[in-house]
Amino acid sequence: MEEIRNVIEMKNVTKDYGDFKLDNISISVPEGSVCGLIGQNGAGKTTTIKLLLDVVGADQGEIFLFGEAIKKGSAKLREEIGVVFDDMGFHEFMTGKDINIMMKNVYHNWEESVFFDYLKKFSLPVKKKCGDFSRGMRMKLQIAVALSHHARLLVMDEPTSGLDPIVRNEILQIFREYMVEEDHTILLSTHIISDLEKLADEIVFINGGRIILSGNKDEILETHGRLKCKKEEVDQIDRSLIVNIQPGIFGMELLVNDRKACQKRYPDLVLDQASLEDIMLFYVNQKEEADAERR
Amino acid sequence: MKGLILKDLICLRKQLIVFTYVVVSVFVIAVMFVCSVQYGNIALSERKMLADGLYGAGFSMTDIYRMILALFMLLPIASIGDMANVFEADGKAGFSKVSSVMPLSVGQRVLARYITIFVMLVIGVLVDLLIAFVLSLFTDLVSFGDFFGMILSAGSLMSIYSAIVIILCFLFGYGKEDRARIVALLSMALVFVLFHLEKTKAIFMDLTMGTEDAEGPDGSLWMDTVNSLIVYIKDRFYLLVLLAIAVIVGSYSLSVVIAQKKRGVV
Repeated sequence: MEEIRNVIEMKNVTKDYGDFKLDNISISVPEGSVCGLIGQNGAGKTTTIKLLLDVVGADQGEIFLFGEAIKKGSAKLREEIGVVFDDMGFHEFMTGKDINIMMKNVYHNWEESVFFDYLKKFSLPVKKKCGDFSRGMRMKLQIAVALSHHARLLVMDEPTSGLDPIVRNEILQIFREYMVEEDHTILLSTHIISDLEKLADEIVFINGGRIILSGNKDEILETHGRLKCKKEEVDQIDRSLIVNIQPGIFGMELLVNDRKACQKRYPDLVLDQASLEDIMLFYVNQKEEADAERR
Repeated sequence: MKGLILKDLICLRKQLIVFTYVVVSVFVIAVMFVCSVQYGNIALSERKMLADGLYGAGFSMTDIYRMILALFMLLPIASIGDMANVFEADGKAGFSKVSSVMPLSVGQRVLARYITIFVMLVIGVLVDLLIAFVLSLFTDLVSFGDFFGMILSAGSLMSIYSAIVIILCFLFGYGKEDRARIVALLSMALVFVLFHLEKTKAIFMDLTMGTEDAEGPDGSLWMDTVNSLIVYIKDRFYLLVLLAIAVIVGSYSLSVVIAQKKRGVV
C-alpha cells in the first residue's frame, strides 16, 4: 500500500508576538486533501499560514512542506504553492495584462495561456484596472494567479469572507475542480464553517493560538453529538463524554465527544448530530470558561 | 526577480511620463536659454551691462549661465530618481503580502528594488548626456566634457539620496515615505555642511551680518562656493561615482538586514 504523504507538516511550532502567542501548533495535511483551518478572528489562523509560508519565522518547532524543511529553501518551495488572501494585494492601477507580465517573470512554471483562460472563465476583463473590480472579481483574480503556475498546494486565507452566496459557491466550485488532480492539496482558513462542511476532508480548530481539535471532518462529525436533557439530568452523565454544557431553550444542551457511547448509555435522552459550527462554539466556550476559571 | 523589477517600472509609469515631459521641457528651455545668451535678450542685457560698466563687478556672467544650465541638467535626473513612490504604491496596495509568498528570497526582493533605481538613474543619465551632447554642438558655454562630469555627479548624488531613502523606507515601514525623503535630504545636507563647516559659517555670516564681504573685491562668497562646487563636481565626478557605489552597496546590505528583521511587515 502506498504511504500517505503529508504536504504540510508543522511540529510543535511556537511564535510569540508578545501580545499574542501561537502555542505549540502541530498540523499534518495529507496530499490530495482539503484541510480547513477554523477559528474566530484573531485565533491565529493567519499567523499559522504566515509561518507555513515562511513569511514570518517560527520561534520554535519545525515546518515541512512537501517533505522538505522550509528553512532550507522556502523560496524554492513557494514555486509549488498558490496563495489567496482575503484582500487582493495587487496595485489598483494594474491590469490582468500587467499582472501576467510580472508573474511570468517570477514563476518558472507560469503559463500565460492558462492565466488568460482563467480570466476568461471568470469573466474578468484583461485590460480593466483591478482597482475597478468588485470584491468577488478580486478574489477570482487572485485565484487565477494562484492556479496559473501549476501549484500543487493552494493556501487560502479567508478567500470567501465578505462574498455573496452565489460568488462563494462559484469559488468553492473552482476549488472542487482544482481538487480533481490527485496530487493537489488545499489549506483553507475561514470562519465560514458552512464552506468547510461542503469542501473539507480535514479540520483544524484553532482558538487563542492553540489547536483545540483536529482530525478528519467526517470522524469529528460522527463522533460528536448534541445531547439535550433537563438540568437535573446533567449530573448523571459521564463527565469524560462531555465537551461542554450550555443552557438550551428547553433545558440543557451538551456537546458529547462519543455519540455512539452516549446513545448506548443514555438511550432515553435526545441526541442529535452536531454541526461543525456547534462543535466550534462548544469548544470555544469551553476554553473561555477554563480561562475564566484559571483567572 | 525580473518580474518585481517590471512591476516597479509599471508602478513608476507615471513618473516615466513626467520624466518625458521634463526632458522635453528642459531641452526646449535650455535651447531657448542658449539662444538668448548668444543672440537674444540675455546677450542684449549683457551688452548693456558692459556699456554701463556693471559687468565683471565681482562675478562672471558665464559662470551664472553655466550654473543655470547645470541646474537645468539636474532636473531630469531629479525627476526620475525618486524611488519612494514605489514604496508608497506597494504600501497602499498591501503588495508585501503578494511578494512575500513569491518564490524569491528577501535578498532578491530587496535587490530588485535597487536594480530598478539603477535602471531609472541610468535612463536619466543617458538622456541627460544626449541633451548635453546636442547642446554642446551649438554652444561653447559648456563643453560636453564639463556636462559629462556634472551629469555623472548629479546621477551619483541622486543614487546616494535614493539609497538612503530606500533604507529609511524599509526602516520606517509603509506610509512614511515623506519622512524618509526629508530625513534623507537633511542627512545629506548635514554631511555637506559638516564637511564645509568653515565656509558655510562664513556664507551665513555674510548673508546675515553684512554685505561688505559679499560685494567685496573677491566677489560674493556664496557665488564663489557654488562655482568651486561646480568645478569640483565636474572635474572630480569619479569620486562621487565611487562614493555612490559604496553607499549603494552599504545601503543594500543594511536594507536586507532590516527587511529580514521585518519579515511579514515589509
